[in-house]
Amino acid sequence: MSPDNELDLWRRQWQSENAIPFNLRRRVERQSRLMRIALLADILVTIVIGGGSIAWALRSPQPDIAALAAATWLFLAAAWFFRFRISRGNWSPAAVDTASFIDLSIRRCRASLAAVRFGAVLYAVQLAFCLGWIYHHAPQPKRPLLAWLFFGSLSIDIVWVATLAFFAGLIWHRRRKRAELAYLLELRNYDSSPICESR
Amino acid sequence: MHRAALEEQFDRLLAANGAALARLAAGYTNTPSDRDDLLQEIAIAVWQALPRFRGECSERTFLFRIAHNRAIAHLARSRAQPVAAGEMEAPDPSPDPETGLAQEQRAESLQRAIHRLPLVYRQVIILSLEGLGYREIAEVLGVSENNVGARLTRARQMLRTSLENRK
Repeated sequence: MSPDNELDLWRRQWQSENAIPFNLRRRVERQSRLMRIALLADILVTIVIGGGSIAWALRSPQPDIAALAAATWLFLAAAWFFRFRISRGNWSPAAVDTASFIDLSIRRCRASLAAVRFGAVLYAVQLAFCLGWIYHHAPQPKRPLLAWLFFGSLSIDIVWVATLAFFAGLIWHRRRKRAELAYLLELRNYDSSPICESR
Repeated sequence: MHRAALEEQFDRLLAANGAALARLAAGYTNTPSDRDDLLQEIAIAVWQALPRFRGECSERTFLFRIAHNRAIAHLARSRAQPVAAGEMEAPDPSPDPETGLAQEQRAESLQRAIHRLPLVYRQVIILSLEGLGYREIAEVLGVSENNVGARLTRARQMLRTSLENRK
């Protein structure tokens, strides 16, 4: 390699390496770690809930339990289908430069916002299904549905409290992600100055 | 100069040279927090010196001269304070989709090799890699162009050897 080519190569490597703002780089790496943890958690949930429902259906003589297991797997399949759809192309940047890192962060933010919407809908559908299934199998004589749903028992009250906490968490997460998205969109339109990246 | 015009010039300078300053700061520091501190010091020094800038040299030379002086002062201070092992900026050992890229690894090797160079050679190679010519480097460092040429030749030899030894 001629000395000039060598210097040009070093120059390209040097300018590509640190042109990625430190905060952005750390943010993307942290998100990658969290994505891997979330994937492992989803696999664990699938094994425990999906496997548990099948095991229950196999041991139980009631055909309703088999229907419950099928519904469980339907929900799991929907969740996995959505997960694959939104995480496609979001594991690594297209190139090692600032623009690609910002684009990746923006795509991840949008995926996260889509996941919030999907999570809210899936939770509501699952909740309706589970409460309906439990009410259907409640011992006779049944109480009126509304009386049973609201303040009917401690376990149902706990479900409502958990639901409130879940949606409060979703709203908080959505706000955070929207603010992050606004910042990243602003950053994309701005030259990479280290002074503006201290957020 | 009017304050608004100064602010505009300051913003423009940092926006145009922010990445280069970040690289320069990384070349003189070992930890991310140290680098951010140095960048902050450089920005303050540029802001303080800007009203005295009369265009005797290019804006880039002006900026790099300040950055270089601040970096040397920072280096002198930080030598008195050894860096804790956990603070060192090292590549993540876990296989990561981003850091696993070969291009990035080569760039990191180059950065580490530059870090290992003695200060006089590190200065010229960093400025050269930022695209400054002999005359600009000489103005930034306050040495002759011949001196820059000699230092740069030696710096390149040392860098080449260091990179080959790490392969």
